Amino acid sequence: MNPAATVTGTIAIIGNPNCGKTTLFNALTGLRHKVGNYPGVTVEKKEGRVTLADGSDALLLDLPGTYSLSPNSPDEKIVSDVLFGRMPGTAVPDVVICVVDATNLERNLYLLSQLTDLKFPVVVALNMTDLAEEHGIDIDIPALEQAFGVRFISTVARKGTGLTELIAALPGASTNEGSIRRWYLPELARKEHQELVEMLVRNDRLTEAAAYHEAQLLLAAPAVDDSYHGRYSPETLSHVRQDHTVLHEGGINRHSVFVESRFKWVYSVYNMAVKHRRTRTVHSISDRLDAVLTHRVWGLAIFFLLMALMFQTIFTWASYPMELIGAGFDLLAEGVSSLIPPGDLQQLVTKGVIGGVGAVVTFLPQILFLFLFLGFLEDTGYMARAAFNMDRMMSTVGLHGKSFIPLLSSFACAIPGIMATRTIENPRDRLVTILVAPLMSCSARLPVFALLIASFVPDRHVLGFIGLPALVLISMYLLGLGAALVTAKLLKGTVLKGPAPAFIMELPPYRLPALKNTFIHMWERSVLFLKNAGTIILGVSVILWFLATYPKMEEGTAAERLAHSYVGQAGKFIEPALTPLGFDWKIGIGIISSVLQREVFVSTLGTIYNIEDADEGSTSLMERLRSDVDPVTGAPTFTLLTAICVMVYYVLAMQCLSTVAVVRRETNGWKWPAFQFAYMTVLAYGATFLTYRIGTWIIS
Amino acid sequence: MPKGRMKTLAQTPAGSVVTISRLESHPDTCNRLREIGFCENATIRCVTNGSSQMICEVCNTRVGLNYTTANAIFVLPQDAGKDPENRERTE
Repeated sequence: MNPAATVTGTIAIIGNPNCGKTTLFNALTGLRHKVGNYPGVTVEKKEGRVTLADGSDALLLDLPGTYSLSPNSPDEKIVSDVLFGRMPGTAVPDVVICVVDATNLERNLYLLSQLTDLKFPVVVALNMTDLAEEHGIDIDIPALEQAFGVRFISTVARKGTGLTELIAALPGASTNEGSIRRWYLPELARKEHQELVEMLVRNDRLTEAAAYHEAQLLLAAPAVDDSYHGRYSPETLSHVRQDHTVLHEGGINRHSVFVESRFKWVYSVYNMAVKHRRTRTVHSISDRLDAVLTHRVWGLAIFFLLMALMFQTIFTWASYPMELIGAGFDLLAEGVSSLIPPGDLQQLVTKGVIGGVGAVVTFLPQILFLFLFLGFLEDTGYMARAAFNMDRMMSTVGLHGKSFIPLLSSFACAIPGIMATRTIENPRDRLVTILVAPLMSCSARLPVFALLIASFVPDRHVLGFIGLPALVLISMYLLGLGAALVTAKLLKGTVLKGPAPAFIMELPPYRLPALKNTFIHMWERSVLFLKNAGTIILGVSVILWFLATYPKMEEGTAAERLAHSYVGQAGKFIEPALTPLGFDWKIGIGIISSVLQREVFVSTLGTIYNIEDADEGSTSLMERLRSDVDPVTGAPTFTLLTAICVMVYYVLAMQCLSTVAVVRRETNGWKWPAFQFAYMTVLAYGATFLTYRIGTWIIS
Repeated sequence: MPKGRMKTLAQTPAGSVVTISRLESHPDTCNRLREIGFCENATIRCVTNGSSQMICEVCNTRVGLNYTTANAIFVLPQDAGKDPENRERTE
């Protein structure tokens, strides 16, 4: 930490979950930020640039939400690691912006008291002061500033209020030198703590501030086991063991004494500085909403209704921009054809690049609508209620509601879903959640589902309001969820056996959604998706075009030339393994090429069918799939049953190498990702085989 | 509800206001509860109480708990009408 508190370097934003940190971060940085990972872990690292009052730029870090500096989960550990300079590749912050929820000061001030104890240069963003005003909460800001010895700036991040003042206050961030540690420990605890601080400074070369914090963690720790060796000197550890005995014999609960003593002081400050002008009615709107939305019957019914609405609108709303994008790519292909003389280069660009990449990019609107809905549900505070509702269901498989948030996030992408498991304290529960998260249907599956559903599922209405295509799509999502729950139950009952976990989860207040945040998130996902399309999908499309064009055959139809190509030969080689699933060799090529990532399946079909149908002029991929027939039997390659079988396969198979890599990193080895890849492949093959057999039997 | 009779938070009906007497669970769980606001002597309002989970309000924040957790929190009933300061703080 730099005691001079200059802000030309790094500024960290820290605060409790749901206090408006990310909203403040977005308001300060706009679109000038990037999302990455901290090295060695997959906790999201969000950093951006903020312009200071003097016109210079500083790096702004949005740290994960935490209740305290005593980490309970890997996510929270990042915060203390960054603050104490233990995170490689991340500079120690010069200034900390501590975001404090003005409507929830009692608890938020606890973390602030830890920061000021440690002499970090802090500026407090007293956020959501408009809501505090609405609730009749009067806050005496000068009294808080005096108690904590740091500046408090009143902000409403959602409306951009107070940001100029906050930025102006950063260069003067103070380190609370004058009013440090006003909370008091019982005498015995104070004495043992002080001795340990001195020992940590002397033996373990910690700064006084870091030693002050570490001493509390060591004295409150359940036991000093092997994990502490190497981190502290033997003399220190021996002293800690003695302290545990002394405090126990002195009748002091060492686990709670530090938290309680600090809270006692925080409450006294709170009572001095905060006045309630009026008492809120007991049966508030939130109470009524919670009574309905978390009701054991109505809550679940509303959840499933919202999901149905989401998928229905994804299909209907997204169809217009999708048609526009499709038409744009057709125009592009025509334009390029007129510029490049006929030959291999023209074919490569129009059939390989534009055909392959275009087939995937067309589905961007659906992915954006999915993120719009998920962002809306999260912003309104509903998502946490959904997790709460699901706790009942999750507990039947040995997990708790907290595991449902990673699973819900996996609807967007398994990687942030797996990252979200870092909030789960129990390592076994975390591992089970990681192992089943990729079974949730992610947005990469959406292009596969959307293509096959639009091509083969009749556009009829069921129950008067929901279309059959949307219903099939929901069924695919439910199949993934069901498979995840059954697998979790099996894992929790066998290899990862453990007791029923404790569930405790903060439910944010109901709010009107901050659309700006959702749009920024949608923008980030679009950039990521298009980047993918411009790199991996483009690369695979070019390679596939090459493999599907060579070796060349001078005579014969386009279909015969494709069968003669490398792709055709490889497809024929693996076809026997796929015939029991009702798949032909072209689907097989799609599956193999999309092991890297699922949406490549669509671009692969786009490239293959573009080449195969080169004689037939321009028709959409959907029409080509519908009209494709087996050259030997004359039977259609794709039927409704084949489409369903392909979708079942994609719901259950691990067709994403990025997820495998993340699981390896999260579980520190290859054992669990190998297990996950194997069980998902076997599950996908078995379930697809059964679907095909049952479907064939029903049809016959 | 007679005052002075201790029960677990899970046994608290919706709408009632109680004071935490003690926490009995693994030290890590207890500390997490304390950091979220479930400290000894803190005032809690029970918002809903289902058959296996409940929503409480503590420090002006709503928290969802399952019964495994709620059974680790021992509470005393509080006559909210006689303690307006605490009542204001939790509502």
